[in-house]
Amino acid sequence: MMIRKMRFIIPVLLIAAVSAQGGTVYLSFIQHSTRNLFQTRDGVSDQISAFSLSINQDFSALSFLANLEYSAFRQTTGLSFFSADGGFDCLLPAGKKSAFYFAAGVAGAFYRREYAAFSSLGANLVGAFKTYLAPSSILKLQWQGVYAVYKDSLFDYWSQTASISIDKYFATRTTLKADAEWGYKYFLHPFLPEPIEPLTEPATMIATPIGMGTETGSGNGWGGQQYQGGNGFIPRTSSEDGGAGIGHVALSLLAAQGIGDVVGLSASAVQQWIITGENPFLSIEEFYLVQNPSADAFSWEGRQITGRITLNLPWSVELKAGYTYSDKTYPGVESLSLEGLPLGLVRNDLRHLFEARIEKNFRRVSIFLAYSHVDNGSSDPLFVWKSHYVMGGFEWNLPTGRKGGVS
Amino acid sequence: MSHKVALFSILAALIAGPAAGQTGAHFYNIDKEIRFEGTVREIVLEPRYKGTAPFLVLRVEDAGGGKRYNVEVSPSWFFGQDIHGGEKVKVVGSLSEATGSVPTIIARELQLRGETFKLRDKRGFPGWQGGPQRKRGIRRFGSF
Repeated sequence: MMIRKMRFIIPVLLIAAVSAQGGTVYLSFIQHSTRNLFQTRDGVSDQISAFSLSINQDFSALSFLANLEYSAFRQTTGLSFFSADGGFDCLLPAGKKSAFYFAAGVAGAFYRREYAAFSSLGANLVGAFKTYLAPSSILKLQWQGVYAVYKDSLFDYWSQTASISIDKYFATRTTLKADAEWGYKYFLHPFLPEPIEPLTEPATMIATPIGMGTETGSGNGWGGQQYQGGNGFIPRTSSEDGGAGIGHVALSLLAAQGIGDVVGLSASAVQQWIITGENPFLSIEEFYLVQNPSADAFSWEGRQITGRITLNLPWSVELKAGYTYSDKTYPGVESLSLEGLPLGLVRNDLRHLFEARIEKNFRRVSIFLAYSHVDNGSSDPLFVWKSHYVMGGFEWNLPTGRKGGVS
Repeated sequence: MSHKVALFSILAALIAGPAAGQTGAHFYNIDKEIRFEGTVREIVLEPRYKGTAPFLVLRVEDAGGGKRYNVEVSPSWFFGQDIHGGEKVKVVGSLSEATGSVPTIIARELQLRGETFKLRDKRGFPGWQGGPQRKRGIRRFGSF
């Protein structure tokens, strides 16, 4: 089915690419290898091949972007997905030092089999304003709204995020930046209906046990603790219809320092607080490369500290390395024993992430190789894991304008 | 749902038809490529080409003789990157027509803060993509 779709879509997009005179077309291929696809103590290896095609085309002040991507999972084939997004954006100057930015887009992701619950269609709007308070200081305001519907309607949501940031560059080649963010995500109907049969079990056990599906299709095919497939979340039940919201505020600081022409250093810290609501699901998970709707930037509170170094090496080679420590608590999400029993603790994860990436730029093609190591500790024993991730690939910039054209 | 995907693709093909405006007098000429190092003195948004959004333009003072250049970057970079007055920058670009007494450089590559940013390929074809909207999606380990 997916192959048939691709046979139709790729030629159409290639035709679009050829006709996009003056635009920019990107083709990329990335090969991923992981020993822990589902990011749990039960590592599941996989290799993923990701292909993407992007087209960027300007029309006066409007710019159009379309992107198609297909990710093929070799072992867990049901997780292979196709995604597409597109939209317009525009830049509206407000004097020589300020501008507004507006964008509108739609996006879809399409999964098969037991992961069909993740299939979604969505729309998003972005509004931003940037101004130079002084040549060395920038103020930015941004708002983003997203609405998405899923094949499993438990995940349907809308969200909005607003942020403000200010930075200052010093003659010592130091940049300091402060950022404040407010975000709110509202799941429209995240609860399963209460079973009609009278129950005597504790409320936390009413939800479908790990490893079992439901007859409604919600969570159908959960793989449970072996994670041989499944969309990896446990919904709550509720006798009342309605949604559930979770809101946060976050503060972040960044310091960046350039040393000579070769070295760039940066350190950043983020502190996030949940100010209203909690996660509506009893369990949430992150899958490698998959946008799991139950776990995202709205689901946690805590802190994250990151340090990075960039080396600008000869022959157009760039080396980046970074370390991130995070301490995240997921309000509303309970830690469970390996037998699936509540431990009476809100889930808390401590993660050490090391990343390195080397990239070489040729005339039209960039190739890269990246390595990551994750050491994840958690109050939920299922999420105590360590693993490596390797990816490599290339990006090909295909010009569609005339030689030396301006755009 | 598959019909929606197909419809989207067709729309993409239809919309991506017409060419963006270009000018014959002002283009990336690889025979006039220069490289220099300097300090950013001013950052402005200026209309550069008919049919495109205004471009981010840097007023850069050459590190050697104090000569000034207008460095034409791209429209999307105004939101995509934060460049400050006072930052040291290395520029590779094509010397274009002067606007007034200040020469204009169409930038192909910028190096600042220890990072190299490719704006165009070596033949001058643009390689930039847009602003905040482009930064969607999940974060992959190993992607910066």
